[in-house]
Amino acid sequence: MNKTISNTSVTTSVSELTKVALIVALYVVVTAWFAVFSFGAIQLRMSEMFNYLALYHKRYVLAVTLGVVFANFMSPTWMLDVPIGGLATFLVLILCRAATKNISNQIVKMAVTAVIFALSMFTVAGQLSIVLDLPFFYTWLTVGLGELLSMTVGGFFVYILSKKIDLSK
Amino acid sequence: MNNSLIIGQYVPGNSLIHRLDPRTKITVIFFFVFIVFFANNVVSYSILTLFAIACIVTSRVPIRFIAKGLTPVWFLIIFTFILHLIVTKEGTVLLEILGFKIYSGGVIQGFAISMRFFLLILVTSLLTLTTTPIEITDAIEEMLHPLKKLKFPVHELALMMSISLRFIPTLMQETEKISKAQASRGVDFKTGPIKERIKAIVPLLIPLFISAFKRAEELAMAMEARGYQGGEGRTKLRELKIEKRDMLIFVLFVFVIAGLFYFRSW
Repeated sequence: MNKTISNTSVTTSVSELTKVALIVALYVVVTAWFAVFSFGAIQLRMSEMFNYLALYHKRYVLAVTLGVVFANFMSPTWMLDVPIGGLATFLVLILCRAATKNISNQIVKMAVTAVIFALSMFTVAGQLSIVLDLPFFYTWLTVGLGELLSMTVGGFFVYILSKKIDLSK
Repeated sequence: MNNSLIIGQYVPGNSLIHRLDPRTKITVIFFFVFIVFFANNVVSYSILTLFAIACIVTSRVPIRFIAKGLTPVWFLIIFTFILHLIVTKEGTVLLEILGFKIYSGGVIQGFAISMRFFLLILVTSLLTLTTTPIEITDAIEEMLHPLKKLKFPVHELALMMSISLRFIPTLMQETEKISKAQASRGVDFKTGPIKERIKAIVPLLIPLFISAFKRAEELAMAMEARGYQGGEGRTKLRELKIEKRDMLIFVLFVFVIAGLFYFRSW
């Protein structure tokens, strides 16, 4: 009996491990494939949609954080983007999970997540302000609005995706 | 859309920099990023620039790869320089164009900030140019090793990273395949109204997610069947080792730091 329980536990953890790993790979692929999906003057970061996955299962908090770390290694400023981006994503995803815990409506949950992510762009603004001495509040506003736009489009994809795939399993 | 992907743009080679332990490279670069903010005059910036040039020359990475890494940030460097020319109003007036006064302080400040950013990118890109992603993963695992005592799943984290690296090219091919399959059915990703183009991405994303989850389950089963029991007792194919050359680099870098702090007070 014990052996069966132990085996099940190993299978579950291995399955969790591989799911996280594959979502990390998928994050990097989507980031690179769509790079910046451009619609003329409007540019969207497609990989932002992965942030919503954390609302469905806590495993995606780690998956998206690692995805950000990997994807940021492709950036010329990786030395700042990897630790700051990774840590900020991890903390904001935990915050989003906590903030939306008692919200049952999926769209409201997503809207709250989008706003939190847009506000969290102070990390990027701070980074740009320290390294390039750019004005903090103006940078925060522009980066935050860009993030909100990317998250809105990303929310549309994840909403449709969640109707086709059970992301909580 | 991008159809080729090299994580970190690794350039194969056998130079001293290539052969350094990845932990040495990560440590030196980490401290370089930190000390670059302490440079405050021509001499201290020159010391850091000389160190960066010495590293690049030793790495024998062709200049075109370094230049490629700088391409996306040229705009940012120039923009920052111009912004400081306009905003900083210190020192003497050097030039006046259409009512805009350019001060000597603005030129110095703009040059210093742009140089700092340029040096950061130059040195940090050397890690990814001379180290394979799997070496970086191994180094991260080793560097996080002390956290094992705090029950931090270091092995699992490293394994996840290795699996991800293994599957990135596979999923990339999958994306290309699905994209072509959808395009042959008439899906147009490149033209048309924004709404239609956003909608067109859905038939690409759904099969991609399904495929990733399917692969994850198959892989878990395969690992289970081969008796995977976690990190305990597992041996490594590649063992990391600090050699004399790593110590030499550390000593040289200590001299760079000492020189920087000595000359910054000049």
